Amino acid sequence: MPNIAAFIAWGLITAFFIPTGWTPNETVAKMVGPMIVYLLPLLIANTGGRMVYGIRGGVIATIATMGVIVGSEIPMFIGAMLVGPLSAYLLKKLDSLWAGKVKPGFEMLIDNFSSGILGAILALGAFFGIAPVVSGFSSILESGVNWLVSNNLLPLASILVEPGKILFLNNAINHGVFTPIGVQQVAESGKSLLFLIEANPGPGLGILLAYSFFGLGLARASAPGAIIIHFLGGIHEIYFPYVLMKPILVLAAIGGGMTGVATNVAFQTGLRAPASPGSIFAVLIQTASDSYVGVILSVILSATVSFLIAAVILRASRKRDLANGLGDDLTGAVAKTEALKGKSSSVLGGLTGAGAAAADNREIKNIVFACDAGMGSSAMGASVLRNKIKKAGLEGITVVNQAIANLDGTADLVITHQDLTARAQEKSPNSIFVSVDNFMNSPKYDEVVAMLQSKATEEASR
Amino acid sequence: MTQILEPGNVVASGTATTKEDAIREAGALLVAAGAVTSAYIDSMFDREASVSTYMGNFLAIPHGTNEAKESIIRSSLSLVRYPDPIDWDGKPVRFAVGIAGLNNEHLEILSKIAVVFADTDEVQKLIDATTAEDIFTLLEEVNAE
Repeated sequence: MPNIAAFIAWGLITAFFIPTGWTPNETVAKMVGPMIVYLLPLLIANTGGRMVYGIRGGVIATIATMGVIVGSEIPMFIGAMLVGPLSAYLLKKLDSLWAGKVKPGFEMLIDNFSSGILGAILALGAFFGIAPVVSGFSSILESGVNWLVSNNLLPLASILVEPGKILFLNNAINHGVFTPIGVQQVAESGKSLLFLIEANPGPGLGILLAYSFFGLGLARASAPGAIIIHFLGGIHEIYFPYVLMKPILVLAAIGGGMTGVATNVAFQTGLRAPASPGSIFAVLIQTASDSYVGVILSVILSATVSFLIAAVILRASRKRDLANGLGDDLTGAVAKTEALKGKSSSVLGGLTGAGAAAADNREIKNIVFACDAGMGSSAMGASVLRNKIKKAGLEGITVVNQAIANLDGTADLVITHQDLTARAQEKSPNSIFVSVDNFMNSPKYDEVVAMLQSKATEEASR
Repeated sequence: MTQILEPGNVVASGTATTKEDAIREAGALLVAAGAVTSAYIDSMFDREASVSTYMGNFLAIPHGTNEAKESIIRSSLSLVRYPDPIDWDGKPVRFAVGIAGLNNEHLEILSKIAVVFADTDEVQKLIDATTAEDIFTLLEEVNAE
């Protein structure tokens, strides 16, 4: 989800500077293409790889994704999402072949060359193997939509259009399929509803609204901003990641899209020209003079329908997401719930323990207690935990305390007061986090010790 | 070499009844010991305003901010016990340990205090101790172990 920032940056630049934007500027608009073709897919690949295999996974995912990007002509988001995690996984397997057998001093050399060579091979493989498949998929989608249009099954087109959009084929669909036929219809009847099938901002608006109310963590916090960029700015891409996070939400997009199309069919309304970008303003400007009621209704109704469907989906999966750690503020949320209950619940406690352990299979050798000044609370917490670790007979684990400002990102596990977790996470994004509200006898310490113990036995049995 | 926690900085029965007064009391002991300038007490309030220094098990550890380290002359701790629990952001506090730390010199004793306070039996002993000397000795005993 941190990648959303890059989407926002790209969305802003696009909304302002493309030829149909608010303040067109050809020179600056040159950034738009490379950003969507390279920057965004590479970021997605990097994040995907990192989730699988840390920073090394992120690097190799980025290398391999270059192959898909260059190998095709459309923005390679699906490619990035497939190739990124896959490459990281392959590297992980490769590394495990000689893990522990490398002579001290040669680790760096071996690491760099193994992932360098594998990265080069994977990039080539992706170039020849994956890119054509993804390109082919997108052209199948195009011809499918084409067929529906020519057979007057328009509302059904949403079933293909919305998933296609989410996979960043929106421009290919809109400009490749709808615009040519739409322009023809305008020549005949002065308007066409085809321009609205893809460009209707309603379905995306509904999904983002649902996230604003029922989402979790960062997704929820960032959704209102995304609404502005999407609905007013017309940059639909901004909402795609929200759907990709939870692919079943595509049902909401389809439902909303079908509603919008059906409304326009019923009212026989349409636009005079393509609305680009798909902002509510652009849509209204292009609305045919006899079509305002139908077009406006189609936006409102499609937003309502997609909101309702998305709300149901988000509500239903909320609990499970918390358990899976998909909420960015999982630890915070759990800590808060415990505080509200006034005591720690073993169910919730187990949840963070399991979540933290499952989130990361790496070794935990380096534990840092962080607080504001690194002078008091963290020092005491570190002593207590160190004492417990010692008593548990665990060896080779260091527990130190630091000011949050001095965190350098190398800690495996960071323990902070719950109010400071967010700040600490910024400084050390790759660490596992544990939040406590009581430094002296937090049940979390015993969980951490238990987790370390299980890791130690796991290692010993290997 | 002077001790970080001196017997003279341990008070068996503090006079404060509010969190604010307790912070002042802890700070004043540090000032009286010549460990900090009075400006340090202000930063203790700043630190308290950002996140409570309540630690759990009746313990709070008021101390200054990272930026206030210039007002520390030497590392020192103070410990004040209160006959009645003080309302520390809704949590009961019987012991306030004022901290002024430079170059991590205070960490050794602080970590010993932490280990003592993590053990509820030890906390009860501290609550039951009759004099400041007894409290000091209890902490020393752990130090000796």
